[in-house]
Amino acid sequence: MIADVVPTPTWYLVLAAVLFGIGAVGVLVRRNPLVLFMCIELMLNAVNLSFVALSRKLGDIGGQTAVFFVLVVAAAEVVVGLGIIVSIIRRRPGATADDLATLKG
Amino acid sequence: MQLVVFVIASLMVLVGAVGVVLRRHPVHAALSLVLTLFGVAVHFVAQEAHFLAAVQVIVYAGAIVVLFLFVIMLLGVDSADDLRIERLPIQRPLAAVMGVGIVGLLIAAVVATRGSEPLQAGAGINVAGVGIDDAVAGHDANITQLAGNLFADYVFAFELTSVLLIVAVAGTVVLTRREKPPSEEDAP
Amino acid sequence: MIGLVAQVGDWPTPVVDWHALAPELVLIAGINLVLATDLLLEEGRKWATATLTGFVLLGAFVPVVTLAVIGGDVRALFDGRYVIDDFALILKALFLLTGYVVVLMSQTELEEGGYYQGEFYVLLLCSVLGMVMMTSSRDLVSVFIALELLSIPAYMLAAWRKRDRKSNEAGVKFYLLGVFASAVLLYGMSLLYGATGSTRFDEIAASLASGDLIGLQIVGITFVIAGFAFKVSAVPFHTWAPDTYEGAPTPVTAFLSVASKAAGFVALVLVIFTAFPTADGVYGPLVWVLAALTMTVGNVIALRQTNIVRMLAYSSVSQGGFILMPLAFVNSGDAAEPALKAVVVYLLVYGFTNLGAFAVVIAVARKTRSGAITSFGGLISYAPGLTVLMTLFLASLAGIPPLGGWIAKFNAFKAVLDAGSGSGYALAVVGAVNTAIAAAYYLRVMREMWMNDPPDGDRAPIVTPAPVATALGITAAGTVVLGIVPGLVLRFADLQDLTGALGG
Repeated sequence: MIADVVPTPTWYLVLAAVLFGIGAVGVLVRRNPLVLFMCIELMLNAVNLSFVALSRKLGDIGGQTAVFFVLVVAAAEVVVGLGIIVSIIRRRPGATADDLATLKG
Repeated sequence: MQLVVFVIASLMVLVGAVGVVLRRHPVHAALSLVLTLFGVAVHFVAQEAHFLAAVQVIVYAGAIVVLFLFVIMLLGVDSADDLRIERLPIQRPLAAVMGVGIVGLLIAAVVATRGSEPLQAGAGINVAGVGIDDAVAGHDANITQLAGNLFADYVFAFELTSVLLIVAVAGTVVLTRREKPPSEEDAP
Repeated sequence: MIGLVAQVGDWPTPVVDWHALAPELVLIAGINLVLATDLLLEEGRKWATATLTGFVLLGAFVPVVTLAVIGGDVRALFDGRYVIDDFALILKALFLLTGYVVVLMSQTELEEGGYYQGEFYVLLLCSVLGMVMMTSSRDLVSVFIALELLSIPAYMLAAWRKRDRKSNEAGVKFYLLGVFASAVLLYGMSLLYGATGSTRFDEIAASLASGDLIGLQIVGITFVIAGFAFKVSAVPFHTWAPDTYEGAPTPVTAFLSVASKAAGFVALVLVIFTAFPTADGVYGPLVWVLAALTMTVGNVIALRQTNIVRMLAYSSVSQGGFILMPLAFVNSGDAAEPALKAVVVYLLVYGFTNLGAFAVVIAVARKTRSGAITSFGGLISYAPGLTVLMTLFLASLAGIPPLGGWIAKFNAFKAVLDAGSGSGYALAVVGAVNTAIAAAYYLRVMREMWMNDPPDGDRAPIVTPAPVATALGITAAGTVVLGIVPGLVLRFADLQDLTGALGG
């Protein structure tokens, strides 16, 4: 019966891989620094998902602890990142990643 | 039942993720991100990471996305980001090829090394050394185990994250503080 | 409440060796102290925070010295996740000293530039704390926390000159690429954790050594190395480095190009030597290609630079290639021991030399207000002391004996040749060619200083502020002393020590 099929860790890992790939593509194609940053958050979520799935598979809590740390660090990163982005956009409204070309060589 | 949960949550995750990448409006992208985050939280619950599921909703959806929306609204950068303008013609296809390549590689690696055993519902996770009896520990076994691991083996790293948070807040306040009056400003 | 406490009573309480953690604890106390003191000081007296920061860093140096003097067994804490051995101690000393020199270099710059000072030093201390933690971490999660602890303040430091477009841009670029690299690194870590069953380096090593590598492990190792390659600005992950280096305030550039990069290398050394030594089929070719590309591309672009900071930025990219070089041969022949020594010595020498070069640039730029290499023209006629020092640092970077840079390069080549394989000889040839190319652009700056006339005929002497002069003294002494007696530090890079601690 199809209803009895139980998801294995492999399913979750494949989902995490797809999510990571979508995030990575987003980083490469989007230009708005805020949206770029959201795409990086997608990648971090893929990391979390795969940590939890592997933690479950191994029967080891270590993976969940790692996710906890990733969450904390992500929070700090967001604060800092938005701070830097706010200070740059205040100076130059409508800045995109392509406008960041004062420094070249 | 587990299958249904998996399929629905995965759809949330993927639709949200594609939304973040494709929606032109930053606000829509942020809202799509919420969908993904909730989907991931459901997956956490399905895998008995109850505490992380709660933290995921509170920290990610509750704090991080709200912060994003605040910044988008306050700065008024809610103008649409035009996806049709390609600055570098090669970039889009290159990104797609790389993305597909990465995903393909990862999936191949995952599938090639898959374990055959299915997840056992309600088995719980046991840490070597902490040893918690499921029957006794009951419903907060997950939190107890996580805390035991966090405050024994990772206590130093945990304490250092508090330094990180303080410093991040202090630095950001300075970076985003309005300029001092021009009289005090030195010419560069 | 009491019930709760009783319930947790049977948890394994971690045994804490306070002496071993003392350097970190001093830094943590110092961060809070500087942050609080800054609030109490009036605007005109903010310079006091710099002095205080200097004392904090020297204070953290004391337990490092006592730990080294007492010596004895390797101290392992938290179930082997945090280890204090000779390797950790010598690099802790390097990072604390680097931090101190950067404080000396920043003092005048910050006062004259009108930046926020107190918070600057808080961020600097936090970053140093991350580096100090990195040297002792023997666990994926600890390494990750240490990496973020050092990078997150660095993102803000790069953007610190917030009225300046270039600095803003430096911050954003550094930040976005840094966070992206963290995500890649973390994904690799998660796969590695899943494929080996542990986050501890010794257990990962045991698991990897126990059989053929499986797909997940290979992908995990690749992602982890790629993530760290961003941090050490190895080609092709170097694009952020020159832009960030040019845009950031110069003392911050010195800090990033020395300390932050060295911390990335420490992380690479730790994962390669303690977590995947036997997986050289995966990291060997990867590091080989990274090293060869990094040296060559960094050098070729450095040749074309007209701005001294950008030139030093690309030169530091290419120096990174030389540090990477021995890491490709950790598991072949007898190369492991010389490779570890080579990397440690290179990091120390490179730290002193590059900091020194930046200190000279800061001193000269105070007068010329320019970053162009031509602004160094005729420096000998009005600042002979600075000219001699700059010549010393550039000669060391180029690898001319008997300076530190020569010993560093010598050790790196020796380690590669010890591997005794065809690929080792090939990489040594690439390195030798690059050493010759690098000499060209270092010599160009020297010729500018010694032979040419000042661009605007202005021969007014340069006044070097006392803190910068002290920084120059420390770095020059380090460059010369390490060149003449490298034995001083070699005993701290003991392979037995590094891997033995993990086994037991």
